[in-house]
Amino acid sequence: MSTELNELQQKTQRDYRSNSLFWVTLRSIVRQRSAIIGGSILIFLVLVAIFAPVIAPYDPEEVLIGKEDIRKRESPCIHLLGCPEDQPQHILGVDGNVRDVFSRVIFGTRVSLFIGFSTVGFAIIVGTLLGAIGGYVGGWVDNLIMRVMDVLLAFPSLLLAIAIVTVLGRGLQNALLAIAIVSIPRYARVIRGSVLSIKEQEFVSASRALGGGNLHILFRRILPNAIPPLIVQGTLGIGAAILEAAALSFLGLGAQPPTPEWGTMLGSERNQVFTAPHLVFYPGLAIMITVLAFNLLGDGLRDAIDPRLKE
Amino acid sequence: MKKKTIYLLLAVLLIGSLALGACQQAPAEEPTEEAAEEEVYQPVSVEADSCDYGGKVLSVEALDDYTVEFNLCKPDPAFLAKMAFNVFAIQPSEYIAETGGGGKILEQPIGTGAYQLEAWNRGDSIVYKRFDDYWGESAEAETLVFRWSTESAARLLELQSGTVDYVTNITEEDIEAVEDDPELEVVPLPAPNIMYVAMTNTFEPFDNLDVRKAIAMGLDRERIVENFYPAGSEVASHFTPCSIPGGCEGESWYDFDLEAAQQLLADAGYEDGFETAIYYRDVYRDYLPRPGDVAVEIQTQLKENLNIDAEVVVMESGEFIDESTGGRLDGIYLLGWTGDYPHPTNFLDFHFSEQNPQFGDVFPSIYEPLEEASQIEDPADALGLYAEANNAIKENAPMVPIVHSTAAYAAKASLEGVNNPPFGSPIMRLIDPGKDTLVFMQNAEPISLYCADETDGESLAACQQVLEGLYRYNTEGRAEPALAKECTANDDLTVWTCDLQEGVKFHDGSDFDAYDVVASFGAGIDASNPYHEGNTGAWEYYSYLWDGLMNTEE
Repeated sequence: MSTELNELQQKTQRDYRSNSLFWVTLRSIVRQRSAIIGGSILIFLVLVAIFAPVIAPYDPEEVLIGKEDIRKRESPCIHLLGCPEDQPQHILGVDGNVRDVFSRVIFGTRVSLFIGFSTVGFAIIVGTLLGAIGGYVGGWVDNLIMRVMDVLLAFPSLLLAIAIVTVLGRGLQNALLAIAIVSIPRYARVIRGSVLSIKEQEFVSASRALGGGNLHILFRRILPNAIPPLIVQGTLGIGAAILEAAALSFLGLGAQPPTPEWGTMLGSERNQVFTAPHLVFYPGLAIMITVLAFNLLGDGLRDAIDPRLKE
Repeated sequence: MKKKTIYLLLAVLLIGSLALGACQQAPAEEPTEEAAEEEVYQPVSVEADSCDYGGKVLSVEALDDYTVEFNLCKPDPAFLAKMAFNVFAIQPSEYIAETGGGGKILEQPIGTGAYQLEAWNRGDSIVYKRFDDYWGESAEAETLVFRWSTESAARLLELQSGTVDYVTNITEEDIEAVEDDPELEVVPLPAPNIMYVAMTNTFEPFDNLDVRKAIAMGLDRERIVENFYPAGSEVASHFTPCSIPGGCEGESWYDFDLEAAQQLLADAGYEDGFETAIYYRDVYRDYLPRPGDVAVEIQTQLKENLNIDAEVVVMESGEFIDESTGGRLDGIYLLGWTGDYPHPTNFLDFHFSEQNPQFGDVFPSIYEPLEEASQIEDPADALGLYAEANNAIKENAPMVPIVHSTAAYAAKASLEGVNNPPFGSPIMRLIDPGKDTLVFMQNAEPISLYCADETDGESLAACQQVLEGLYRYNTEGRAEPALAKECTANDDLTVWTCDLQEGVKFHDGSDFDAYDVVASFGAGIDASNPYHEGNTGAWEYYSYLWDGLMNTEE
């Protein structure tokens, strides 16, 4: 009798655990094909970034003048595809300063992923705080915060980022800061919306009735429930941030040479698009794949998490 | 009542406007009187009150119909070289007066050149016809056409397809394609330019001579030129290119010597290198066709050779020029210079004079011989002084001269007499296309054809075919007499007397004389001249080459 009861208890516990929000969500994510594809590419990119020194045959900043018998902007040479064995192998060719493009593209993954995660991380933290405070406190505080956010949103984001970088000075760090600042309003709005609806729910009133303080209610009760839409927004935002950073670098405002950044690589060789197309094609392709990965993952996550899209 | 008020108001307005009109009528009549005078506009002289205005020209006077005298405030040994600049071309005094120095003259210049303007089809082409009464040898081709395209690839395509005969700047990558094509030939543009790596000696650690010398010896300039400049570019042995008479006197620049450089840096206390910045602007220039690539290359060399960590900093062009020439950049900067006229003063005096702060504190050992040399007419007599100055430049290393770069034009191989002088533009009258029409394609459309008030090479190239000055550049870039038989100076080079050619006809049939010279110069250099109108009104070359315009207000 008691063993049966025990088993029943364990089963219920198992059911409870496997039916928790996390596991339900994970299961519905796995059912989304685009999320799977995006996620796989992303894992691949992360591995490439981690093992860049192992994969890349050259130091990305190493100038090969005098070290190898090779001309600048040489086309790709792959031994397997018939390139003579006595020529040094450069899978994606060499650039205008005689550096191995393949190594630079590989190391560029590190820079781009770092840009994506750090800017969005910063924007989410600041945006969440602002949105949560605004939504929870309400009144003039809410009005003030959200009007400032409206002003930020009123500018085309790239233009605003260019303005910020111009004031702060060129360089990757300032570009990151600029991109982070312009993407704050997006997260602030998402969080505020969620907080507004959640704070009216009964479990919040219950928590308050039990004597929970404002901070406790906001950070322990409301925010954890407001996170799912933020994850979707954040994933999509990383793609957008990488794109914006590449655009800034292309314009010469972001990463400075000799940093192997895809946008910088594109920008410095843009005039060679007809004479040495490989120099703009591969960095461009790398940007496309990375942004596509985040967009696919973001779309998949939204389909899986957003309750409005559930049947 | 109301109607009355309205009528009253109308009447007041009417009377008021009549009164206003009457007041303005008096000055309005004047131009007609002037117009009567204008038909015989023959200015005898233009002059400044005194030399106090700071410029070089005191007066330009017509002594008789075919003699002009230039009185200068300061001696100018480069006088003839400057005179050959097409900005100082001569147009009929009557025509200048008729157009008022603006308007029609911007589009329809009347000169004495081997070609006269037929039509300027805006946005498409300029057509010239051979001038049959030309005083010299007449032009080879009957018709000359100027076209333009900003893309070098497009220019080359037109050349390959045979629609044009001669094109300007082709890119380094395209040179090979042209060389491989038996129908085409590369026409190199000789290099009166210099690209240098400058250090401002008022900032640490560049205040230390050993550091500057270490960088001078520690940069492999040959590697830079070989990898980043078109074939035919030369590693600079001196600041001034050797193609300029008297340009490369004195010792050649340091050879690349890594050990000596590292030793010098260690002696200066920087054996572990230091941190600095490399400043440049991302603007195409003949002397720096790929600024970004060269900056990164120098960054790499400084790191590898001398362990100096340099950050590459791109600056906005205007700001970069302001800051660098003002001596306010705390690092290394990449700048250059393209010659305006073939004389060492144009290179050395501009950069190393006592007044120029771009390298920080000035060096008396450099500027003193230069000042002395600038008083001597014939560069041949000043060679010793230029050698002294160049040796002092090498000894003090305020900058490192890197390269005299070359650019390349391309033409059909069948053209005869193709030329590309280092100063001025290709001389079209000498080119025989083997057919009636010669078609030239340049980078852009001219802004106007009144080049006294233009600075861009495209306008000057188009003007040069129609207009001539007292002197002109030959195919080697040396100044030779054109409308003047000869200009001679007094002993201290302050009075130049020009003996003019007789019997020269303008394209409108009128005769060339000394008053046309005075009128043309007056319109440019005299700010109070009634015909000082021009296109922009800036008259930049008049102001720059003669140290300012005379009779300016204030």
